[in-house]
Amino acid sequence: MPSADVVVIGAGLAGLTAAIAAAESGAHVVVLAKGHAATHWGPGGIDVAGIPAASTPRDGIRLLAGQPGHPYGFLGDDVAAALDWLRPHLADGGVDYVGDLDTPLQAVPTSIGGTRRAAILPAGQAAALSPWSPGERLVVCGIAGFKDFWPEAIAASLSRERIWQGGSRPASVTPISVALPGLAARHNLNALEIARRFDDPAWRATAIAALARALAAVPGSGGRVALPAVLGIRDHAAVLAAVQEHLPAAPFEMPLVPPSVPGMRLYAALRAALIRAGGRVQIGEMIERVERDGRRVTAVTAAAAARMYTVRTGALVLATGGIAGGGLVAERDGRLMEVVLGLPVEAPPVNEWLALDAFDPAGHPLEKAGIRTDTELRPVGADGVPVFDNVRVAGSLLAGQRYIGERCGDGVALSSGRRAARSLTAVPAGHAAKPGSKRP
Amino acid sequence: MTIAELIMDASEEAVGYTSDECLKCNVCLTVCPVARVTDLFPGPKYVGPQAQRFRTGRAQPVQIAGMPIPLSPDVTVDYCSGCGWCTTACPAGVKVAEMNSQSRARMKAGKRPKLRDWGLGQTDLVGRVGVLFSPISNWALANRPIRALMETTVGIHREAPFPKFGRRTLQATWKRRQKRRGPAAVPGPDKAVVYFHGCSANYYEQHVADAAIEILKRNGFETIIPEQVCCGLPLISNGIYTEARQRAHKNLDVLARYARQGYRIVGTSTSCTHTIKAEYREMLDIHEDDASLVANATWDICEFLLDLHEQGRLDTRFGRLDEDLPYHAPCQLRSHGIGLPAMDLFALVPGLRAADMDHDCCGIAGTYGMKKEKYPIGMAVGAPLFDKIRASGAAEAACDSETCRWQIEKATGTRTRHPIEILLQAYRAGDAESRKRNEQPAAGGA
Repeated sequence: MPSADVVVIGAGLAGLTAAIAAAESGAHVVVLAKGHAATHWGPGGIDVAGIPAASTPRDGIRLLAGQPGHPYGFLGDDVAAALDWLRPHLADGGVDYVGDLDTPLQAVPTSIGGTRRAAILPAGQAAALSPWSPGERLVVCGIAGFKDFWPEAIAASLSRERIWQGGSRPASVTPISVALPGLAARHNLNALEIARRFDDPAWRATAIAALARALAAVPGSGGRVALPAVLGIRDHAAVLAAVQEHLPAAPFEMPLVPPSVPGMRLYAALRAALIRAGGRVQIGEMIERVERDGRRVTAVTAAAAARMYTVRTGALVLATGGIAGGGLVAERDGRLMEVVLGLPVEAPPVNEWLALDAFDPAGHPLEKAGIRTDTELRPVGADGVPVFDNVRVAGSLLAGQRYIGERCGDGVALSSGRRAARSLTAVPAGHAAKPGSKRP
Repeated sequence: MTIAELIMDASEEAVGYTSDECLKCNVCLTVCPVARVTDLFPGPKYVGPQAQRFRTGRAQPVQIAGMPIPLSPDVTVDYCSGCGWCTTACPAGVKVAEMNSQSRARMKAGKRPKLRDWGLGQTDLVGRVGVLFSPISNWALANRPIRALMETTVGIHREAPFPKFGRRTLQATWKRRQKRRGPAAVPGPDKAVVYFHGCSANYYEQHVADAAIEILKRNGFETIIPEQVCCGLPLISNGIYTEARQRAHKNLDVLARYARQGYRIVGTSTSCTHTIKAEYREMLDIHEDDASLVANATWDICEFLLDLHEQGRLDTRFGRLDEDLPYHAPCQLRSHGIGLPAMDLFALVPGLRAADMDHDCCGIAGTYGMKKEKYPIGMAVGAPLFDKIRASGAAEAACDSETCRWQIEKATGTRTRHPIEILLQAYRAGDAESRKRNEQPAAGGA
C-alpha cells in the first residue's frame, strides 16, 4: 500500500491548487481523479466574481461575501494572495494571465455570440478585455470546415446591442471564414487538432499568412479579430506572438465547446507545477471507499484492475466538485449524497429542485448545495462541529456559492485550495509519513 | 433481429452499454496518442461511444428490407492502438478503449484475418519456431533484404523492433533445472508464488525471468512455473477474439487451480498481468468464477514487491547505484490503476536517480507499431519520449513492458531494462557492499 502525507481527490483548479501548495510546503502529495473534466471543459479564464452588480472582481467578492453562507465570507480576503501565488506557476508553464481584482469587469464576447463578464483572462483572450473605442470594428474569423465556430451566427448575434449588457460595443461586427492548409477534407475537425497544427512552425506560418490576407480584404482597418481558441497548445505563447505580429487587427481567442484548448493549457501548466513540486497525479482512479479511525481518514481506496488500490494518507482534500463535477449526486428520494465520505450536505428541500426556467438569472437553487465547513475548511455537521479532523473541502463542493451563476468558481477554488493546503500542512505531527517512508 | 432482442443484446454487453454515459465532451480525444499524430484516426469518441449507436451487439449488422446492409461506421477503429488512455481519462466512466477493441473484433469476425495480423497474434507459435531455429531466425530477423521482403509480402515494417530469440524456452530451462534438483515438496502459498512469464520471458528475455526468480527468492518466495500459453493480448489487439478466448481458458484452467489454494500469480510482463486481471472479463466477456478468482490473485511484479514493502517484508538491502535512470510507464501499467510501483521501488535504492519520463505512449502498443502502415504512427507517438531519453544522456532506461523496451531501445539506442533487473543490480551492489564491510575490521558500533 503506497502512502502519502496528503491525498487530494479531484484534478480541477481547486484540487491542483491544494496539491501544489501542499507539495511546496514539503508534503508528499498524490492527486487521485476519476478523469479529466473541469479544466478540459472550462474556458481557461479565472472567474472570481462576475456578478452583474459588481464593477470589478474585488467589488464582486465584497458583494458575495455579504451573502449569508457564501464561502467568500471567510475566503474572500485570500483571493488576491492566491492569484499572486498562482501567476508565476502558470507563467512557468507558458500561460500568462492579464487582469487582476481591480480590472473592470467587461462583457467579453463568446463563441455562441453572447457575452460573459470577465476581468482576468489568459493572454490569448485578453484583447477582449478593453472597452471598445468609438468606431472600432470587430471581425469574427472562422476556419472553413470547423463546425464548432460559426462566424456568421456569432456576428449576427453580437450585432445586437442588448448582448453587450449595457457596456461599450464594437461599431461593426463582420464575419469571415478562412480556409487553412490541409483542413478541407477533414470531417471531424476539432479545436485540439487545429491547435496542434498551429504548434508546427511551418504550418503556422502558412496559416497566419492566409488569415492575414483574408483580414486585409475586409473593408476598414485596425480593430480586433475574434478567433476560435485554437492558437497552439504546447507552444501557445509563440503562436500568440506570431498572430499578434502578423494580423492587421488585435487578435483574441474565443473559448469553445470541449475539449477546451485554453483549459488544457491551464491544466498542463498546473500539472507541471505540481510535478516540479514533487507531487503526483493519477487519473482513472474511481474512489470506492475511505478508511477512517475515529475522526481521521487513514486511507483512500480506488477501484483498480481486479483489485482495489489503496493509498494510506495523513490527510485528505476533497475537491470533487459540485453536482456538475460529480462530487454530489442526487438520490431518487430527494437526498443529495457526497460521494466520497458521505458528508452531511446542505441543500434546499426537494420540492425546490424544479426550476421552471432553466436560464433564470437567479440561478438554480441546487447550485448552492454543498458541504458546509468551518473557516479551516473542515466539514461540519448540522451543529457546526467538524466531523473530520484531517479532511478539508475545496472548490465548488463548498456550500453557499453559485460557482457558475455568480462566476465565482475559480476564485473560490484558488482561495479554498490554498487554504486547505495551508491548514493541513501547518498541523504538526500525526500526519507525517510513517517511519521508513519511501520518500527519498 | 427484433428491437427487443437488440436491447437485450446491448444491455448484456456491459462495455458497449457504457456509451450511454458519454457526454460527448471529447476528453478522450485530448489524451489519445494516435489522434495526436495522425489524421487517419479521428479519435476515440468518434469511433467509440459515438459510433456505438450504429452498432448492434452482434456481428451481423441490422438488416432492413430493401436497404443495403449498413457497414459499421468505424473502419478507422483499426487505427486505435489499444493503449487505454481514453478509458483512463473519461470523467463519465465510459469504457472507450474496450468498446473500440470489441468493435474491431466484430468488424473482423467471420473474415479470415490478414496473415500478418494472425501471425502477430501467434506469439507462442512464432516463439516456439523461432527458438527452435534460433541461430537462423535471429540471423533472418537481422537481415535487411529479408526484412524488406517481410515488409512487402507480410506487412511487418522493416525497421520494427524485434528481440532476439533465446536458445531455449524458459519452460525447457526450468524443467531441466527441476529435473536436476530432483523431486521437492512445493511450498505453500505463503512461501511460493506462481510465475506467469508470458511470451517474452519464455522465448526472448529469460534474463527477466531469472531476475524475477532471484528477487522473489531473496524475499522468501519460491517460484512455481506451471505450463501456460500466451495470455492472448496480441490476439485481442488484432481482433482475433475466438482464439484469444481459447488461450484465456487454457490459462484460467491452470492458474485457477493455484489461485484456489491461495497462491498468488506474479508476472513480469505488465501487459500480460493486466490482460489476466481485466481483459479476460471486460473484453473477452469470460465471466466464470475462475476468471475473477484468477484476476484477484494476479499481481504485476513491482506491485507485488511494493506490497511486500508496505507490509515491512521487503528485503531493502539495496546497494548504491549512482546513475540516472529514465523510466517509461507503459500504457498497460497505467490501466492497472496502481500508480507507479517501479518508481516507488527505485526510490528505495540509494543513489539511483530515476525520473519518470511522463510521456503517454512509446508508440509500439504491443504489435501495433510493428505493422507496415502503423510503424510511422508509432514512431511519431513515441518521438517526444525518445527525445527525452536521448537528452537525459543516461546509459540505460527502464520500462515494465517488453514491447515498449524493444521499441525504446531500437529508437534511442539506449539499453532498456525491466525495473526488476535494476533492482537485482541494486541487491547485488548491496551484497558487494556488505562483503566489503565484513572484510574490514569492525569499526565500532552503530
